[in-house]
Amino acid sequence: MGKYIFKRIIYMIFMVLILSFIMYLIYNLIPNNRAYTDARAEIQTLKQGLTEEEKETRFQELYLTYQRRYGTDTDNMLIRYLRWMGLYPKYGGEYDGLLQGNFGYSYEARDSVINVVKAPMLNTIFINIFATIFALGIAIPMGIVCAVKRGSKTDQAVQIITIIGYSLPVFLFCILFIWLFCSTLGIFPPSGMKTPGSNYTGWKWFVDTMYYYALPLITMTFCSLGSMTRYTRASMVEALSMDCIKTARAKGLREKTVIYSHAFRNALIPVVTLVIGWFLGIFSGSVVIESMFGLNGMGKLMISSLRTADFDVIILLQLFYVAISLIGNLIVDIAYGFIDPRIRVSK
Amino acid sequence: MSSNTNKMSRSNWLQRLFWGNKVPAEEVDINKVEEIVSPGRQIVNNFFERKLAVFALCVVLGMFLFVFIGPLFMPNYYDAYTEVTQKNVPPTMSMLSVPSELKNDIKMIDSYGTFSVGLSNSGKVYVWGATKIGTTGLDVKNIPEEVKNTRIAMVAAGIDHIIAIGEDGTVYGWGNSRLGQYGIPAEESPSIAAMPEELVNGKIDVANIKKLECGYQCSAILMNDGTLYLWGNKNSYSNIDKFLGNITFKDITFTLNYIVGLQEAGTTLYTGTRGLFGQVRSNIDGKAVNIADYLNGRKIVSIIANNNNICLMLDDNSVCFAGDFQQNSVPMATLAEGEYFVDVEAGTNYYTGLTNKGNVYSWGSNILGQVDVPKKLTGVSKIYSGAFQNFAVDENDDLVGKWGLKGYIFGTDQYGADIFQRIVNGGKMTMTIGAVAVIISSIIGIIIGCLSGYFGGKVDMILCRVMEGFSAIPFLPFAMILSAVMSQMTLSEEMRIFIIMCILGVLSWTGLARLVRGQVLAARESEYVVAAQAMGVKSFKIAFKHILPNVISVIIVNLTLSFATCMLTESTLSFLGFGVNYPRPTWGNMLNGANNATVIQNFWWQWLFTSIFLAITTICINIVGDTLRDVMDPKSSVDK
Repeated sequence: MGKYIFKRIIYMIFMVLILSFIMYLIYNLIPNNRAYTDARAEIQTLKQGLTEEEKETRFQELYLTYQRRYGTDTDNMLIRYLRWMGLYPKYGGEYDGLLQGNFGYSYEARDSVINVVKAPMLNTIFINIFATIFALGIAIPMGIVCAVKRGSKTDQAVQIITIIGYSLPVFLFCILFIWLFCSTLGIFPPSGMKTPGSNYTGWKWFVDTMYYYALPLITMTFCSLGSMTRYTRASMVEALSMDCIKTARAKGLREKTVIYSHAFRNALIPVVTLVIGWFLGIFSGSVVIESMFGLNGMGKLMISSLRTADFDVIILLQLFYVAISLIGNLIVDIAYGFIDPRIRVSK
Repeated sequence: MSSNTNKMSRSNWLQRLFWGNKVPAEEVDINKVEEIVSPGRQIVNNFFERKLAVFALCVVLGMFLFVFIGPLFMPNYYDAYTEVTQKNVPPTMSMLSVPSELKNDIKMIDSYGTFSVGLSNSGKVYVWGATKIGTTGLDVKNIPEEVKNTRIAMVAAGIDHIIAIGEDGTVYGWGNSRLGQYGIPAEESPSIAAMPEELVNGKIDVANIKKLECGYQCSAILMNDGTLYLWGNKNSYSNIDKFLGNITFKDITFTLNYIVGLQEAGTTLYTGTRGLFGQVRSNIDGKAVNIADYLNGRKIVSIIANNNNICLMLDDNSVCFAGDFQQNSVPMATLAEGEYFVDVEAGTNYYTGLTNKGNVYSWGSNILGQVDVPKKLTGVSKIYSGAFQNFAVDENDDLVGKWGLKGYIFGTDQYGADIFQRIVNGGKMTMTIGAVAVIISSIIGIIIGCLSGYFGGKVDMILCRVMEGFSAIPFLPFAMILSAVMSQMTLSEEMRIFIIMCILGVLSWTGLARLVRGQVLAARESEYVVAAQAMGVKSFKIAFKHILPNVISVIIVNLTLSFATCMLTESTLSFLGFGVNYPRPTWGNMLNGANNATVIQNFWWQWLFTSIFLAITTICINIVGDTLRDVMDPKSSVDK
């Protein structure tokens, strides 16, 4: 087991390196030259008195300094990439990249990327925790009921509703819910994160925040219900057709005991692994929901940075997502082994 | 056993239990009962037993036909069409429906935007068409009480207001008044030319009125002595000030952006702007000639303007045109010897003319069928045109013909384009993108899955890691980044769309590859593969020729389901503005405008219909895919 995990982690690091290199290349397809822009900006602030030629030489000097500082004084993309990662020394001989904690600088917010990401990340986690709990709390019981009463009217109705649920794009649900809850019923505010101008603390803050988060939460929960219910139902149906269930029934156990104690435990195995994967998803916000409801989360940050071409932020977010998803894969695989001893992880 | 017999026997088991089998012996066909059906046939049979799935399949096929054949019936459609006077029109088909009380008693009809106003000989005003005005909550159909109670002498319609003059000389206005369309503006504003004081409070000499005309948000009353009353929104007509001096006019008319006047001399057009409408042409497709050269001593009698150009009627009964025409406009018909136009009326970018012989001709842009004059049209003595509607009236003031735009079945979008047409053409784009993306992703997925599953070992390990890498890339953000990167480069729109298809395909093959790999892994151990290997068939051939057909069912199911997924992803990307861009429609970017509560609430038709089409298509595709998976899985069909 330990060896397996070690091996997977090595793979993972390798994967992150390759993917980040590819992304670095893509990111560099965009014609932007930070050293050039910065040098130009600085030359503008210099005192006038200089002649054109002096300015030009001064600019060249500055340009070179900036290029060396950013590690772009070479055309070799691999070296640039390694410098960005912090695996290759810059001109001055120092290592200054991601591994050293230099995550880049957001030109739009005029702040380091870490500071820019902090607040949206907290918001996203906050809302996603609730959404995940709600979705699981509804989807798992519904899936069980559907599997137990397979073929009944309830089951058929839920099947059709869940097909609709996962066939529609998220933004359609956003539009529908805004129309229903904001325009028609007028219960919830259509966008925003808190009452404008308010400065609540404690309980009041929580209530106010939840009031504004209610609609995105409902939408998010609703959107994830479809696939989750179907998944639970499928694994429960599988579990109910196992031999051990027949044995349990033959023994004369009560139906409730059979379902909840025997079948459900078996059905939980695939569900739990899915849930673990899901919980990692709370770090990455929903691009559509956050931009529709005007929530300051990771998804909105992503969109706004893309629109303003703030690529230091984007590439870091992207890398973060990749890392999360790889770690998620690993955790799911390991968890599978732990939950279901029949599955030999070391294979 | 075929299921039909099965069902029969189940319903009749009681009967058989007590009275024995009453079916005559010769009808029981042993062969039929034990008929062996091939797996493919069985799947098809099972599929067609499910009514919902068959219905869904029909809907999907219907939708395909709809979006791929539909555009053939819209030869006039083009992507970048915009029409400023037709913005945000709700679904209506009432634009040509003249009220029945008015039908035999027409004094005049006028329209400019989305509604028409009619006046009967008894002085009653009627309004029809899309009468609700934007988000203002106003409805021009609510005719003020004092207008209802007086006899009206003339009416005219602007884009969002109506002006009526009573027989006693009072000038009435209703509709939107926020930009000075009528009445005293609520506050002084430099962009408003206020309605003259004497018209607001006093009366006008009705007998001496030569013309009442409304423009975009502007109105004019021209008297017989040349006096001009002019008021309205200066932002829509920048040259309004040039007309407010004490200049007298013979005629006045409104294009979309300029007021054009005709002075007594009748040799040039007065716009207050040098060089504007300085050239004329004898027909729409004719060559532009300097106006003075063209006239050559003739005089302009009257002028009629549509949105971009002006029709000049000369004193020798000929007509000519100033201004630019849209491409693909229908040219004016050549008239017979001795025939000339006695009346020309202007609609949006087209004209309708009535000749001295009673013939009616329409010419100009024909995007919405406004130029298609009905063939049987006789006894016409008067024509009324405005916006996209035309009405022909005989000498008894009866309506004898109407043609043009009936309305929009799904309304119009924020650019004034017909949503129905855009849904049909956008569906074509959405489905094409989905299909191409699915094809790309399945080709990659099948090849990699087969290779990885069949060869196993190191190849499998490497390919699995590649799969893992690709599936670790978060789909939407990465597609957005690629799309943003592309937008920084100079690419043609076709190229961009093709690359979007490729992005969608390349990012979504991992699921299928995994499935195929699993199936191939299982199939590899089966006897027929061992047999093939024993016969010395090359392993490459075994993988693709022997194993692949056996896993095809999984592939087909996956194809169906991922077609829906690709459509959804494309819509989401376009909705966020990172996919296909305006003006090219897709179902995703048509919903782009519905991203705030105001649009969602007030212009419900702009998102509802497109959403319904998108939703029905993806739901039905998913139902078909789900059912296919069910019927192809032998385990589940036993259970059912």
